[in-house]
Amino acid sequence: MPQNEHIELHRKRYGQQLDHAERKRKREAREVHKRSEYAKKALGLKGKMFAKKRHQEKAAMKKTIAMHEEKDRKKKADDGAPQNAVPAYLLEREQADRAKVLSNTVKQKRKEKAGKWEVPLPKVRPIAEDEMFRVLKSGKRQKKSWKRMITKVTFVGPGFTRKPPKYERFIRPSGLRMTKAHVTHPELKATFCLDILGVKKNPNGPMYSSMGVMTKGTILEVNVSELGLVTPGGKVVWGKYAQITNNPENDGCVNAVLLV
Amino acid sequence: MPTYNFKSIQVVPPAKDFIDIVLSKTQRQTPTVVHNGWQITRIRSFYMRKVKHTQTTWHDKLTQILDDFPKVEDIHPFYGDLLNVLYDRDHYKLALGQLNTARNLIDKLAQDYIRLVKYGDSLYRCKELKRAALGRMCTLMKKQDASLKYLEQVRQHMSRLPSIDPAGRSLLLCGYPNVGKSSLMNRLTRADVEVQPYAFTTKALYVGHLDYKYLRWQVLDTPGILDRPLEERNTIEMQSVTALAHLRASVLYLVDVSEQCGYTLAQQAALFHSIKPLFTGKPVIVVANKVDARPLDNLGPEEQALMQGMASEAARASGADPADCLMSMSALSETGIAEVKTAACERLLAHRVEAKVAGKRITDVLNRMHVALPKPRAGAAKPRPPVIPPGVAEARARRDAGEKRRTERDAQEEAGGAGVYSADMRKQYDLKDPAWRYDIMPEIFEGHNIADFVDPDIDAKLAELEREEEELAAAHDAEMAALAEGVEELGSDEEADLAAIRKKKKELVTAHRIRKAAAGNRPVMPAKHGSRGDKTVGRMRESLGALGIDTSAAEARLRSESRGRKRARSAARGGEGGDSEMADADGGAAGGAPAKKRVHSSKSRSMSRGRALSTAPPTPSSGLKDAAQRNKAVKMADRGQRLRNKAARAGEGDRVIQTKMPKHLFSGKRGMGKTDRR
Repeated sequence: MPQNEHIELHRKRYGQQLDHAERKRKREAREVHKRSEYAKKALGLKGKMFAKKRHQEKAAMKKTIAMHEEKDRKKKADDGAPQNAVPAYLLEREQADRAKVLSNTVKQKRKEKAGKWEVPLPKVRPIAEDEMFRVLKSGKRQKKSWKRMITKVTFVGPGFTRKPPKYERFIRPSGLRMTKAHVTHPELKATFCLDILGVKKNPNGPMYSSMGVMTKGTILEVNVSELGLVTPGGKVVWGKYAQITNNPENDGCVNAVLLV
Repeated sequence: MPTYNFKSIQVVPPAKDFIDIVLSKTQRQTPTVVHNGWQITRIRSFYMRKVKHTQTTWHDKLTQILDDFPKVEDIHPFYGDLLNVLYDRDHYKLALGQLNTARNLIDKLAQDYIRLVKYGDSLYRCKELKRAALGRMCTLMKKQDASLKYLEQVRQHMSRLPSIDPAGRSLLLCGYPNVGKSSLMNRLTRADVEVQPYAFTTKALYVGHLDYKYLRWQVLDTPGILDRPLEERNTIEMQSVTALAHLRASVLYLVDVSEQCGYTLAQQAALFHSIKPLFTGKPVIVVANKVDARPLDNLGPEEQALMQGMASEAARASGADPADCLMSMSALSETGIAEVKTAACERLLAHRVEAKVAGKRITDVLNRMHVALPKPRAGAAKPRPPVIPPGVAEARARRDAGEKRRTERDAQEEAGGAGVYSADMRKQYDLKDPAWRYDIMPEIFEGHNIADFVDPDIDAKLAELEREEEELAAAHDAEMAALAEGVEELGSDEEADLAAIRKKKKELVTAHRIRKAAAGNRPVMPAKHGSRGDKTVGRMRESLGALGIDTSAAEARLRSESRGRKRARSAARGGEGGDSEMADADGGAAGGAPAKKRVHSSKSRSMSRGRALSTAPPTPSSGLKDAAQRNKAVKMADRGQRLRNKAARAGEGDRVIQTKMPKHLFSGKRGMGKTDRR
């Protein structure tokens, strides 16, 4: 006990107030009412935050109670799978579940065999040109409008040099250029921040692929040398494909999932 | 000179609260309303402001934390080591370092997102970017939860550390557990430290203050140390070691000679020798405690040798005489405590002075100092004694001879004691000539000397007047006596009448008194309505008739006033002017029932009424001259009685503002003139 713990020292010397336990019990009993008062009174952001917190607490409490009930419930000893085949109406749910899992795995395998280019996001929303580009006025009187600025995030290779600005048709703003992607390895369930090597394919068209536009569903090539993946032949893999899973222009970062 | 108390560090909230604090601050302090129809630049700046504000808040709060917590390198090495012992320096630095990193990351992140928002082309996109920015900042801080919690604990503990001035004058008590360090502390200071009969009662450094030679001294109570290698020492012992190592204090090494603490004298000596390196260059005193249980003389030769060994070591470490380095005391019986304190303080003072003189900076001070050492005068042969006035010398001689001054008290005792004796104030008057003391002082009133106005023959004049008065009184008495001679005696009838009158008076008074006593303080019914029934016409006739008074006229008047058997209302309705004629016939004596009615002046009633009452002359007893005067009185009374302000209309008594806004005050330019006068 440090020197300046006056309260503790006093308690140690003289004990606690005689009705301390009683007061404490009462205060605890009042707590519920106090909280309900507050819950009724709190408005706006505070109210929202309180409600959320309380909701989480309640959920946790319910879970705990359910777990205790599960523990206390008397169950018949599970003797495993039935010995003989049983008709469908006698199948218990757990067994049915297992059957379902089995069938799912079979389906999965078939799927994997089916196409090499099966990707996590098979469908994407088509993006119209006027959403993709903004028209820039040019010319001495500002009446020419053949310049376009790309409003999405782009990848521009390290050795890129701009054309003379006067003739540059598509402008990829440097503020929207990105060189890193957060790539999730679906089997390792881990995410890494990897360098982008190039844009392989943009589902909206080959022009976007060539310009390096990154939208949701775009296939990237990322540098995975850090992960230390090895080919069956024993070589270190350094380039691998990944598909973008978010809208980078809205989130300010590129999230992708590795295609394995 | 930094003061070492860490009480001012602000609270470090846990990550969750921290996030709530920062986000709600943003919510409160930035605008919250945004519309899709706004110009895109406005929308962008709206969201940029939010991001920037959040970043600034994080930055400020984290900077506050980083600035509040002391840097281990910047503080005194004693506190640096204490932090290391208590909180693990690496952990401490790591936690602060992580917060610093988080702060930088947040700054960078905000910069990135603000750049991205600049390219936002819709409200939705800007909003999403803002959301992502805030979310990432919060996630970053959420990961710092462990550091924040650790720092909060450190803060709480640090705020309770005793504020020890490492450079101040201090006494340091050390020794094995349970040897009486805390008891001594309680004896020396008012620190009120806990003392218990078990080892390691004191688990932290305690500080108390004492006053010696008008200087402030701090006394440090340290936890007990066990004799083992430094690496094996635990946190509690390490605090003592830290204090011993870093503080230039006067060390009191306490030894329990009675061995009640559970450690033999040999063990205690061994500990002393093992921590000896920490004592070099400090005044050390070996204090034999608990000598009340076992005096030093009772020690065996080996034990004596041990004590002497410690003392000589202490002397060697501090460069002093071994005899000064061994003292004995008892905290229980409070013997030797003052000596120990004095010795320790003196030695530390001397030590500090020595250190200062040996130091470099002393020359700066010495250059500016000059101590004057005056030489004796050349011709010192002739002495120069102090001058004593002869009167004083005489008084002193008398006093030395045993003569006592006669005081006022002596005078009082001689003259009969207190209450009897009246002190003579005039005796003390300080006048130019003491003979004036008992002179009569002139009494001056309003600038005149009263003595000038005193008539010298006033006594003779007064005697003359008194004599005259006596003569007059005697003449008057003689005259009265002559008159009394002329009054004749009463006859026997008259005597009887007088007796009857007196008796009657007495009866009346008695009856009245009885009635009054019976009534108490309650209100008394007026005799007119008296229920006793003694105010009857018969009785009046009887009593007045006995006096020879004819009561027939009064009786007739009373009869006429009383209602009689007839119904009053029909009578009133009946004959026109019957009442007034009767009243006339009675010679106006009948005030009667009709006069009691309320009389109105309203004209509207005049038509429905029979004969106007106003034409009748007033009753003679009403004090009114004629009908006109009576009518006027009635009218006036009526007006007075009229219900005031019947319709709640504004009356002439009400405050009224004729014009709410007088035009001349509220119109026109002020080019010329004043606001209210143009």
